[in-house]
Amino acid sequence: MTPAAFERWSIRAPLLLGSGAAWIALIVQPQVCSLHAGLGPVTRESALMFAAMMLPLVAGPIRHVCNQSLARRRWRAAALFLAPYALLWTAAGIVLMEIAPRLSVYAAVVLIALWQFSPAKQLCVNRCHSFADLSAFGVRADYDALAFGSTHAVWCIASCSGLMLLPMLLPAGQVIAMAAITLWLLSEKLDKPAKPQWALRGPAKAARIAQYWLIRPILSRSVSPSS
Amino acid sequence: MFTRKNVYKLGGDWGDAILWYARAVQAMKARKLAEPLSWRFFGGIHGFDQGVWQSFGYLAASDKLPSAALRKRFWEQCQHATWYFLPWHRGYLLAIEKTVRDVIASLPKGGATAAKTWALPYWNYSVKNENKLPPAFASPDWPDGKGNNPLFVTQRYGPNFGSNKVFVPPNQINLKALGEPDFTGVTTGGSTGFGGVETGFQHGSNSPRFGRLEQQPHNNVHVLVGGGDPTNQNVFGLMTDPDTAGLDPIFYLHHANIDRLWSVWNGEPASKGDPTDAQWVKGPASIGERKFSMPLPPNGDPWDYTPGDMTDIGKLGYTYDDLKAPAAKAMPHAKRLAALGAAPRGVVGMTRDQKVELMGANEKALRISGKAEVKTSVKLDKQVRKRVSNNLAAVRAEATTQPDRVFLNIENVRGLHDATALQVFVKDELVDTIALFGARKATTGGGGHGEGGGLTFVLDISEIVDKLHLSNALDVNALDVRIVPVNPVPEAANVSIGRIRVFRQGR
Repeated sequence: MTPAAFERWSIRAPLLLGSGAAWIALIVQPQVCSLHAGLGPVTRESALMFAAMMLPLVAGPIRHVCNQSLARRRWRAAALFLAPYALLWTAAGIVLMEIAPRLSVYAAVVLIALWQFSPAKQLCVNRCHSFADLSAFGVRADYDALAFGSTHAVWCIASCSGLMLLPMLLPAGQVIAMAAITLWLLSEKLDKPAKPQWALRGPAKAARIAQYWLIRPILSRSVSPSS
Repeated sequence: MFTRKNVYKLGGDWGDAILWYARAVQAMKARKLAEPLSWRFFGGIHGFDQGVWQSFGYLAASDKLPSAALRKRFWEQCQHATWYFLPWHRGYLLAIEKTVRDVIASLPKGGATAAKTWALPYWNYSVKNENKLPPAFASPDWPDGKGNNPLFVTQRYGPNFGSNKVFVPPNQINLKALGEPDFTGVTTGGSTGFGGVETGFQHGSNSPRFGRLEQQPHNNVHVLVGGGDPTNQNVFGLMTDPDTAGLDPIFYLHHANIDRLWSVWNGEPASKGDPTDAQWVKGPASIGERKFSMPLPPNGDPWDYTPGDMTDIGKLGYTYDDLKAPAAKAMPHAKRLAALGAAPRGVVGMTRDQKVELMGANEKALRISGKAEVKTSVKLDKQVRKRVSNNLAAVRAEATTQPDRVFLNIENVRGLHDATALQVFVKDELVDTIALFGARKATTGGGGHGEGGGLTFVLDISEIVDKLHLSNALDVNALDVRIVPVNPVPEAANVSIGRIRVFRQGR
């Protein structure tokens, strides 16, 4: 493992553990889908969904916050980033849970597809790849972490909400659908920023990686230039 | 086995190897742009910008571009600011060397014989008196006095625009990178490694940061040889910009030297060798990204290769006439220990128990314009500073403690004037010169997908910190950093530095 990979996993591992715990909680507890059940339960449900689906995706920004923070302030900076991020996502989740049952499934799927393939979606994804530069000292450092958490949440919500609505439209099997969407979103994260334009956006890169490793003996044969 | 030789040791200004190179370049330049084995096609493999090529006279209205399929496979491929930098360029050199050899073999009056031993020469600009542009490139004429020497290029301005003297100033390059034990490093502020950081297919914008050899001397030589007009950012040498660099015949001699230095590094006992990670060995195709591919003679058929294919130059059929490494005691680590009064100990590189942590940062962005030097104060954290002081004291007292390393990061350098070279001083000691090769593309975010983050330069300031420690002057709240343009920078180029940070790498 390269030193860079080791650094990445030291942040990724705890987040994956947190996400794993949230998935377990989602599976074992009865699901709550709307505000009729009460604000408390629905908030808890939304927060669990956030932890399950978004913690794996937030490793990059958290690593950035830790990297640009002094060691003595690192936990504080990470908390100041995560707090608005989690709050905004939880709120967005509640909104999504409220509107899902009110939508015609077919209309929702068409709208989600249009958004997914639109230039606007690519613009939001590009913004997700762009991390704010953070001050190191004092109040400015606290403010920068909070601001980064908030703006990153906005771009993330814009990018991912469409796909995240899909499992909520299903009558059953939402947790499995959520897991599939999480993998889709992780795959989207692998792509580099690209030109905002209409395009069929999907987990193509993940498919290419899978294809490479499955038919590797054929692909790795290359014509070696002989002298 | 072919031997690549020092261009200054070919037996005269127009030694055979250079004469045949010139003849082949002339033949390749006569081929059409759309032909995969033409000179300009090879230039486009490195990089391409329609507007710049047109304004520099390398793309006429009558020129037919290569087919979309050919461009998609071969063009705009050069790998920069990545651990793929060295292996990709090794393959690129192999392809053009074979193409040149194939052309030579077909030339009259001894071409067939010459081709049996011809290899690309290299330019070792670090040798005293060999830092001037090799004479065959500096003359507009062939040795028999006839003009139109294909090795001569007007858009090659050197470090002092207008002087017509092209050379590499010795005080602006160094080979400290050879002392780096690890091939790959980190993007978190510490050492980026000899060969560069882990990335995917890396061409154009979103450049994180450079490996040590790529940053110095590779980037600096590009900018010092190409140069540019300090009053007009649209006038620059071919070597100055990645999109035009492959068009200058000196490019390949420069890269042959960089390739040679990779082999020199591999021959050093302290070097840990090339990466064995699958993602490096198998290249970007293994992570679902574009593969490395070159056209080869006789027909331009594609040759796909991976970094793993590039690790053994013996297997690839060539060597260099000089692979001698600098003496161990001249390496940065040994010099530091000597200066600290510490017993010698081997260099270890980055280990699992080490980490990279922020030590300080300045407050705001800096604008570079004209000749004016820019000063900034990089505030240091007391706790981290103390860790460094304690470590340096321990290095002297104990035989096994490795010294911390301290790095200055010049981050998010944006601008539209790649010919910019900046000297960086910390507390009035010169750290190094940085050159903005690739800044234009990294700023415009090439391909129109948003504002690019610019370039980030990582500079090892451990020796300077050692000096401060030894003179009891490390107990300071901030480090004074000065950035001094080597030549004036055009105002309209909007050259700026986003942030300057200091990082400690140690246990």
